[in-house]
Amino acid sequence: MFNPFKPERAIIKDIIKETTDTTTYTFSFLDEGVRREFRFRPGQFNMLTIFGIGEAPISISSNPAEPETFQHTVRHVGNVTKFLSKMQPGDIVGIRGPYGTGWPLDVLPIKNLLIIAGGIGLAPLRPVIHEVIDRRPEFGQVEVLYGARTPAELLYPAEYEAWRQAGISLLLTVDAVPSGTAWEGQVGVVTDLFRQMSSRPGETAVFTCGPEIMMSYVVKGLLARGFKPEQIYVSLERRMNCGVKKCGKCQIGPKFVCRDGPVFAYAELLTLPEEVLGGAVR
Amino acid sequence: MSVAYARQEEWSIPQLYHLPAAKLDPFLNKLKENYTLIGPVVKGKEFVFAPLSDPGELSLHYQTTLLPPKKVLHLPFEVLFSFHEDQQIIETAQEQQQQIIFGIHPCDVHAIAILDKAYTAEYPDPYYIAKRRNTLLVALNCSEPGENCFCQSLGTGPELKDGYDLLLTDLGNGYLLEVGSPRGRELVQVMDLAPAPRVAMVEKQKVLDNARRKFQKKLNTQDLPGILEENFRQPIWEELMHECLACGSCTMVCPTCFCYNVVDKIDLNLKSGKRQREWDSCMLLEYAQVALGHNFRKDRDARVKQRIYHKLVYYEPQFGTLGCVGCGRCIHTCVKKIDITDVISRLRGE
Repeated sequence: MFNPFKPERAIIKDIIKETTDTTTYTFSFLDEGVRREFRFRPGQFNMLTIFGIGEAPISISSNPAEPETFQHTVRHVGNVTKFLSKMQPGDIVGIRGPYGTGWPLDVLPIKNLLIIAGGIGLAPLRPVIHEVIDRRPEFGQVEVLYGARTPAELLYPAEYEAWRQAGISLLLTVDAVPSGTAWEGQVGVVTDLFRQMSSRPGETAVFTCGPEIMMSYVVKGLLARGFKPEQIYVSLERRMNCGVKKCGKCQIGPKFVCRDGPVFAYAELLTLPEEVLGGAVR
Repeated sequence: MSVAYARQEEWSIPQLYHLPAAKLDPFLNKLKENYTLIGPVVKGKEFVFAPLSDPGELSLHYQTTLLPPKKVLHLPFEVLFSFHEDQQIIETAQEQQQQIIFGIHPCDVHAIAILDKAYTAEYPDPYYIAKRRNTLLVALNCSEPGENCFCQSLGTGPELKDGYDLLLTDLGNGYLLEVGSPRGRELVQVMDLAPAPRVAMVEKQKVLDNARRKFQKKLNTQDLPGILEENFRQPIWEELMHECLACGSCTMVCPTCFCYNVVDKIDLNLKSGKRQREWDSCMLLEYAQVALGHNFRKDRDARVKQRIYHKLVYYEPQFGTLGCVGCGRCIHTCVKKIDITDVISRLRGE
């Protein structure tokens, strides 16, 4: 019988240091069959094992068109991720997945796309950007609003030029600029970028990921600008020990975030008795 | 995915036998030849489900047990696999000896049916299923409900209608024995038992009617989800926050709780180890905590509500059933005597 709890062995192929506490790892499954069969959709996650340390849910941050080598962008803040920071290319980890529903790129008839990310929240949205670039003619206006704490903490800066060349409008902001750092751009929280954005509610889907407090203000600001709860999608973080609706940890009301999410329409969250996104908007 | 457990509908005519009290021990001895027997035994002033080394240990006059028989299907601690220095994963053999849970009450049979849904739906759990497939249920209708029992309110007792391999009813001079599955029929065939007269079914109803009159607690289920959803911000939850110690006992003794935590245990040689899952509880502080220390249910009232709402509201959309079977264990075990039936009565303004 298939064992959904058994990780497959994967090798670290490459390590890219993104910021002081965040790293992008490129992985590939050791087993050829597993490697060939692995497919994922933007917004899905894997359970990442370091044997002897534990297992953690981490979103996939690379292009779904290249599933044989996939990436996880990891912030080193937990037991598993801190240990991962000590590992080298060639080291072996365990990976199982992908899990979750992902962003509804193929479910919705989306014309325009507004992506709003904060900090590490850009990681699960990067596969969306890569897929949109690959399928650019299918989409109309695509706009990305991205905020980080400081200029040095913006993820994937080397790719911004390519995104812009693909016709994606990219607006950046930082919370603060440390002295000695060159920064010509906007200073402020990500919702400050609403004044500059050209996205409008008509025929637009919004995908947002970041700290819940950020997402609560994003949703509040969007609703005030005429966006509807049905067109706003958020990706939630919860504790997960299994990824397959068994351990129970990730439940919010009747939803299992690991399987029914982690991406939810905001309208769906409004039906839950428990407050989500700090209950900022109800 | 289907689990080969009892299916009453395969049986157009129930098969009835009379099991005289004197034949109970010989019957158990016969069963013991091929099965591990697990049944209620005395432990101090309480009862527990335990493997029977001798049929004499079985105490069928129990009202409830400390832990539900869930513990032999969803183990409190279970090794998922071992791993080694070279990163090889070795799966634990999932071979399982055939076992019989003997004397399980209707509430606990219903609870196992709920666990079956949770564990065999999407992503079937091979560890649970391996044990479940090899577990037979010889149930016992309740003739003496305990002081905290309220199964009658939920339709999960005192009479069991399906989900068993064999069903016993204590008629005083012996047991009425009903067959509920092909595997149950195989069990009966080890003994030379006389068929029960049809009148035994009347006697059975007398015993059960007598039991039905003895319930002291009830839980009114009428529009329960609606009432709970309307009262999510009722002051009662803040009162309970101050009462509840968040010790997690209520969830540890619950026959339908399925949550677990996963830990890696390193062997002393530091070269190998095992991944293990352990029962967890939504009542505990760390349950909903993520990296960087953020906790989605930091406040105790949120955790009190999570338990009660999960049981009485969320199981229905998740598994098509209520998550409570009225066994009363959470009431019995609570240090602060928090009573789920009382909480609902208060919410209803009764």
